[in-house]
Amino acid sequence: MRNISIKKFKEALDNKNGELSSLAKSGKKIIGYFCTYTPIEIIHAAGFMPVRVTGDAETLSKVDAHVPNFICPYLRRAFESGLNGQYEYLSGIIQGYTCDVACGLIDMWKENIGGELFHTVPLPYNDNADSRKYLSTAFEELDLKLQNVGGQQIYSNIESSVALYESIRALMMGLYEKRYKGTLPLSGSEFHTVIQTGFTLSPEEYLKMLKKLNADIEEADTKSNTHTPVLISGSIIEEPIYLDIIEASGGRIVGDDLCTGLRHFIQTDTVGHDPMERIIDRHFSRLPCPARSRAVERAHLLMGLTRQSGAKGLIFLFQKFCTPHLADYPVIKDMLDQQGLQSIMLEMDETGAMEGQLQTRLEGFFEVMGKI
Amino acid sequence: MEKTAKSKKRLSTAKELNNIVAQFYLEGNDAKEKGVPVGWMPPMNGAIEIFYAMGLQPVFPENWSPVCAAFGLTPNNFEIAENMGFSRDLCGYLRNITGYIYGDMNGEHVPLGGLPEPDIILSAGGGCIPAMKILHTLERRFPDANIFSADLPQVPVTEIQQYHIDYAVKEMHRLIDFLCQVTGKTMDYDRLAEVVRISDKACELWDKIMSYRKYVPTPFSAAEIGIMFVMVTRQGTRIAVDFLEKVLDEVKERAKNGIGVIEDEKIRLFWDNIPLWYNMGIFNYFEKMGGVVVAETYSAAWSMRLDVDDPIKALALKSLWSYPMVSCVSIEKRKEMVLKACKEFKIDGAIFHSNKSCVPITMGQSDIRRALEKELGIPSVVIDADHMDDRNFSIAQFQTRVDAFMEMLLDSSHP
Ligand code: SF4
Ligand code: SF4
Repeated sequence: MRNISIKKFKEALDNKNGELSSLAKSGKKIIGYFCTYTPIEIIHAAGFMPVRVTGDAETLSKVDAHVPNFICPYLRRAFESGLNGQYEYLSGIIQGYTCDVACGLIDMWKENIGGELFHTVPLPYNDNADSRKYLSTAFEELDLKLQNVGGQQIYSNIESSVALYESIRALMMGLYEKRYKGTLPLSGSEFHTVIQTGFTLSPEEYLKMLKKLNADIEEADTKSNTHTPVLISGSIIEEPIYLDIIEASGGRIVGDDLCTGLRHFIQTDTVGHDPMERIIDRHFSRLPCPARSRAVERAHLLMGLTRQSGAKGLIFLFQKFCTPHLADYPVIKDMLDQQGLQSIMLEMDETGAMEGQLQTRLEGFFEVMGKI
Repeated sequence: MEKTAKSKKRLSTAKELNNIVAQFYLEGNDAKEKGVPVGWMPPMNGAIEIFYAMGLQPVFPENWSPVCAAFGLTPNNFEIAENMGFSRDLCGYLRNITGYIYGDMNGEHVPLGGLPEPDIILSAGGGCIPAMKILHTLERRFPDANIFSADLPQVPVTEIQQYHIDYAVKEMHRLIDFLCQVTGKTMDYDRLAEVVRISDKACELWDKIMSYRKYVPTPFSAAEIGIMFVMVTRQGTRIAVDFLEKVLDEVKERAKNGIGVIEDEKIRLFWDNIPLWYNMGIFNYFEKMGGVVVAETYSAAWSMRLDVDDPIKALALKSLWSYPMVSCVSIEKRKEMVLKACKEFKIDGAIFHSNKSCVPITMGQSDIRRALEKELGIPSVVIDADHMDDRNFSIAQFQTRVDAFMEMLLDSSHP
């Protein structure tokens, strides 16, 4: 039996700030993004490197003078990191309009931290011929903005950029399939580390690492685990400790509906004559975020995902104050209850101090599930 | 001072407003009885003019919330919503309306007959997440209603391009087609042009009324801001224009004769963010120390003109401007507006309501505060509160902060 090591991923993650700083110094422009609805293929095709802004700051002090304490801990931490100078390597931030906090923060980032390009892509909600044309124009606008800060015209590279990200997504979806079948020999937090690394490495580099990981996994034995299979739903999870607690309390994470997870990597059978059309098609066919859909629609999708992954229940793991998720939760919970699907909702606040309490609640949850 | 209190009003036209409010809600219930299609929708977009032009009845759940707050229904509505699992951290408008529609919606204790049930539910796309989720929640409660999801682009007002306008114009047409289809009515475009003209007239009057607040002493304060009810619910009707004309006459008269809100106006204040609907009386609180709230950010949502020669485009642009102008979509623009207003209205100090119930308007306040201080030397104070939920408002903290702030302003105004 071969042991799977994710050491390389962990190292890459730990060294990301140093690596990205030297990359920026060497002249490569790095563009940050908060949300998975950012068209990273377009940023990449312009010759820039898209990197997800993470909330690394452990203690928060500067941020209180800027944003209220009732916005999600993720963006409070990310902004603190920015104010601390961690993101000096970023040339700007691009996002798709999803939640209100991210929308406000992009302006505040420009004002207080600075950079040369800040832009929110005004994403359409409806899928029809007009909205597709509109989104295509919105992407052209983005292309022009990228060119204004030295980007190449995307059209010569977009085909290969899209292909690159599609390859990554295909490999990730392969890992998800294994996870559904119970043959992925990675713990929740190990898999999470693999995912987080993808947000900070160049896609070329990341693809290589994923290929190697995939080959290793093919040869590895499956770890047998009798814990209760669960699906996690929420937005951003950054600290793997939460996943460890779930698994230590009796759960086995078999699937997710997360920005830092399936929703980022999901690959749909996109159609279109050219790569831009495929990006647009994916926008409309992906598993939606609650900021872009109705709770009822998501409840059905989550039930499907539960079946597909073999989960017996759901854990809603939310960033505290995350409006899109909190607004959908009661409806989804109600619909799950009607189907007899067990679920529990946990909020991650910025102290992270609720670990003990979290474990107790989870143990209770798994105990009840064990009896069903 | 009470935690929940009504404001003291000085404009005699403000008294007439009570009738206008009652009339609007009675009209809604009346329309329902007569079979006029009722549509529930978010405020601050062009759908209202389209509804009035087609003879349909609009209802604004967000506007019903201040009514609930004024009549004390809010705590019960919150309890119902929270028992359903809606977090206390969600916008109070969302929790209030959810509790209301799932509670005893038209029960005997509900004032003004309550809201008529919707035949049509319209969400805007543009605007904040809670505003969209409010309408989604309604859809589940009223499954027989016809649903229209508009798709208005969320763009900073400074970055609006032709393609955003074109798309918003298409959405206006799509809405009209939908309404014709589900109601069997037709759109008379001459009538629409007339409605837009009336709507534009209301905007013009609105700006004129607001401009009289530049007078020292100011003829009226934020305590009277309830007059914006007609901008939220009656834009495009003569009711709004007739009322605003009266308000303008009164305000002009007071300004010319130097009649202020209080005898001796010492400090002119600016208010940022939504008022505390359950305690409009706090706008009067400053008065005992000679302070008057002369201007506020919120009123800017209707400070625009509509191109009457191109009604559909005018409504599309209104839909693109109105919400972003006061929210986090355009923090830079908001800052520019606040600074300009503070200069023009001769503001001595600003009050920033850090609003637990409204993230979009609270985001960016710190940058605006800093710019006010740095560029204009205008100091400000932050009040932690909530526009709907009085559990997030401490009157003691409010008084302590405001008293200290006012003392500081008074000291510096008399060197
Ligand atoms: S966690 Fe929620 S509130 Fe925070 S950025 Fe994501 S969607 Fe927005
Ligand atoms: S703008 Fe603010 S108050 Fe209005 S619905 Fe959105 S969050 Fe609530």
